[in-house]
Amino acid sequence: MTAIYEKFKQLRPGLWQTVNERYPGSMITKEDFVELAKISKPLSESRLSFVSTAGVQPKGTLPFDTVHPVGDYSFRRVPSNSKTSDLEIHQLKYPTFSAMRDLNVIFPIERLRELVAEKFIGSLTKNFFSFIGYNMDAERLERTLAEEIAEVVKAEGTDVALLAPA
Amino acid sequence: MSLAYLKEAIENGDSEKLIRYVRLHFGDGNEEKGAKEIDKAWIEALKPLLEVPPTKREFILQTLAEQDAATLAHLFFHLHFYFVQRSGEWIHDGNL
Repeated sequence: MTAIYEKFKQLRPGLWQTVNERYPGSMITKEDFVELAKISKPLSESRLSFVSTAGVQPKGTLPFDTVHPVGDYSFRRVPSNSKTSDLEIHQLKYPTFSAMRDLNVIFPIERLRELVAEKFIGSLTKNFFSFIGYNMDAERLERTLAEEIAEVVKAEGTDVALLAPA
Repeated sequence: MSLAYLKEAIENGDSEKLIRYVRLHFGDGNEEKGAKEIDKAWIEALKPLLEVPPTKREFILQTLAEQDAATLAHLFFHLHFYFVQRSGEWIHDGNL
């Protein structure tokens, strides 16, 4: 097993300690801080949505554009009742080896359904939302993708959104 | 790297910053590996042509004539990754 993980080890150990040195200009600061919304009711009565940058998408949908040098600013709806076998990952920038074996390690769709069955969470939105995190144009990301996802998350009657960067 | 950083590099004619960005993209953050990946794509593109097999040159010329530069640039990146993958040596963490 060690050999397998050796094969799939990250190519960039220690990168994040020196991110600005290795990717000059990549650190983005924002002045217009937006506070997190307050939770209005208990989680057990709330409808939860899930937003992920893992590049998970239903098989048969247009693959995320992993080759574009400036990124992909689209998102996919992932029905929250999807079987994991009906989903796939298109994402170049994080190790997907373990996620290919069990999607829940990066996109915990079955774990969330279990939490609903246990009444820990009230319910799930009909769809979850997924995109890829390789986006070099932060302003475009905020203006388009972030706004579009915020709209569809609201439209699904979401009380609580779980955000998970990959 | 942010888009603003790249645009500034273009304005200043800083080719080294731009090619470094492309290498980092192909090398998943590792510039040396990225340079090798780009070389690998060219080597893999060369191999199928050595025996001079028939190719759809009309398709190529028509594509070059009819498509805009942005689409062709996008295709150029696709082709690089296609030939990197075709080499059978996939160093990347994820999937296309």
